[in-house]
Amino acid sequence: MTFRKLPAGVQDLLPRECRVLNDVRRRLTIRFEADGYEPVLSAAVDYYDTYAEITNALPQEQMFKFTDSDGKLLVLRPDATLSISRIAATKLQSERARLYYFANKWDAQNAGGVKSREIVQAGVERLGEEGAFSDAQTIAFAVDCLRETGLENVVVEVGHVGYFKGLLEACGLSDAQAEEARRLINAKDGLNAERLLRAAGADEGTRAAVAAIPTLFGGAEVFDRAEALTDNPVARAAVAHLRAVHRILSSLGYDESVCFDLGTVKRLSYYSGIVFSGFVKELGAPVLSGGRYDDLADDFGKHIPAVGFAMGLKRVLVALERQGNLPPAPHPDAAVGCEEGAERAACEVCRRLAGEGKRTVLLAEYGEEALRTVCADEKYFAGKDGVKRV
Amino acid sequence: MIRFALPKGRLAELSADLLKQCGVDTSVLERDTRRLVLESADKKYGFFLVKPADVPVYVESGVADLGIAGKDTLIEEGRDLYEMLDLGIGKCRLCIAGYPSRSDVLTNAHLRVATKYVNTARRVFADRGEEIEIIPLHGSIELAPVTGLADVILDVVQTGSTLKANGLVVLEEVFPAITARLVANKVSLKTGADEILPLIGRLREAIL
Repeated sequence: MTFRKLPAGVQDLLPRECRVLNDVRRRLTIRFEADGYEPVLSAAVDYYDTYAEITNALPQEQMFKFTDSDGKLLVLRPDATLSISRIAATKLQSERARLYYFANKWDAQNAGGVKSREIVQAGVERLGEEGAFSDAQTIAFAVDCLRETGLENVVVEVGHVGYFKGLLEACGLSDAQAEEARRLINAKDGLNAERLLRAAGADEGTRAAVAAIPTLFGGAEVFDRAEALTDNPVARAAVAHLRAVHRILSSLGYDESVCFDLGTVKRLSYYSGIVFSGFVKELGAPVLSGGRYDDLADDFGKHIPAVGFAMGLKRVLVALERQGNLPPAPHPDAAVGCEEGAERAACEVCRRLAGEGKRTVLLAEYGEEALRTVCADEKYFAGKDGVKRV
Repeated sequence: MIRFALPKGRLAELSADLLKQCGVDTSVLERDTRRLVLESADKKYGFFLVKPADVPVYVESGVADLGIAGKDTLIEEGRDLYEMLDLGIGKCRLCIAGYPSRSDVLTNAHLRVATKYVNTARRVFADRGEEIEIIPLHGSIELAPVTGLADVILDVVQTGSTLKANGLVVLEEVFPAITARLVANKVSLKTGADEILPLIGRLREAIL
């Protein structure tokens, strides 16, 4: 009887939850449009090669795959940013664009735990923009968007992949070693990261710096510590860039909502500059994730610097509920009862009320007395002798 | 309030002692109780007592801010969390053990490995290109080779006395330095930094 069940890691959204989700989408749409973003929607089905043959390929075990009638391998959209980058490089006239989307992505791997395999996202991408101001605006906008959903006490943590890359550059690690080091740093496991570098023959200064990366988080005070740890020009440029981003965010009044972590080294390796994640303390996983990916579109034939972020909307809903900020279950604005023979009158009343923007329910089986017990602001009963307000 | 996921069993007392040294009021843990959720008298700390293998789950999900877990469970579970400190307690080794000479049975196409570390076993042997059959067990792993259920076991070894009593030997140390680690939820560390970071600092001093 598998036809009654769903596969692991996916969910149906029932009306109550779906309503709140749509409400969040509606608020975000208004916000995105107000900031000059245009909507876009990439195809949900795409070629496997688009994601597997690029420089920073997605792991194949992460993708839901199936075969086309001509034998080509297809996937369910595994990453929204990648598909928008493909669109920008191959289909858009201008290289400058601000785009937003509401789209699902699918992750074949994440069954169980706090992760879902069908991820309902909202996101924005700013294409053709460079520099600290663009980064700072995007981070500020990420904070705004999270607040727009109704979340309170939002924290966005900002890092820069250049710091870690710069430190590692000097060590001459193989790709596999570098990935292992990234994983250890991301897990704040400085001890084993240091061991790995020792085995790879890195000098003492670099080892000390890498061992310290996991502790480089907090407010703007981490910049001094980060700079003191290294002479590497790439790493120092990353810190200088973060200083500039911090200065702008400060001047925009976002100090309370932003913190810094140079130990955030994300799995998705297409990021080339700042990276950031959004949190609320009620949820143990990020509700937002983003960063700069200047070289991603190169694989699709054009160089387009870009920065963007995506929100996990189901996580936003869970966080809203835990913060007690979910809107109450709404009752209809108006209810209309009717007796046999007065169907036409009842329908006319309904149409008038709906035309006024009121959520109206027609309760054909309700008599006048039953209608009084219904929870609605306005109630009408259509009888043979006309319509009256109850 | 900082919420801890603490392992029941082998590490329970060691963990509580260590926290006590760092000024955490753990008196509530000393009382014999069947309650699973405990709070310190000053309401600064909450404790969940869970099966050791479940600690990473509680911490990854953010239900607990901090947890104490053996490196063996961290390797096995592979959860997305921060490993903040090597606490140096509960030292052991994760080993492949069996009889000194393995009888090569012709009809036995592959090695049968009994273990409670199913993911780890799969990874370790796959990395060497060895095909194995995993026999998942929950306890008394040593019984498997003795009874012929498996050829070897992958398990933690502390003193090795159980192995010895059953005529088994360590064939290979896969992870020689298994100790208990302090793990943190990735969000809690940022949103609860004021409370959590000083405590981690005190723990770091205590273990030095």
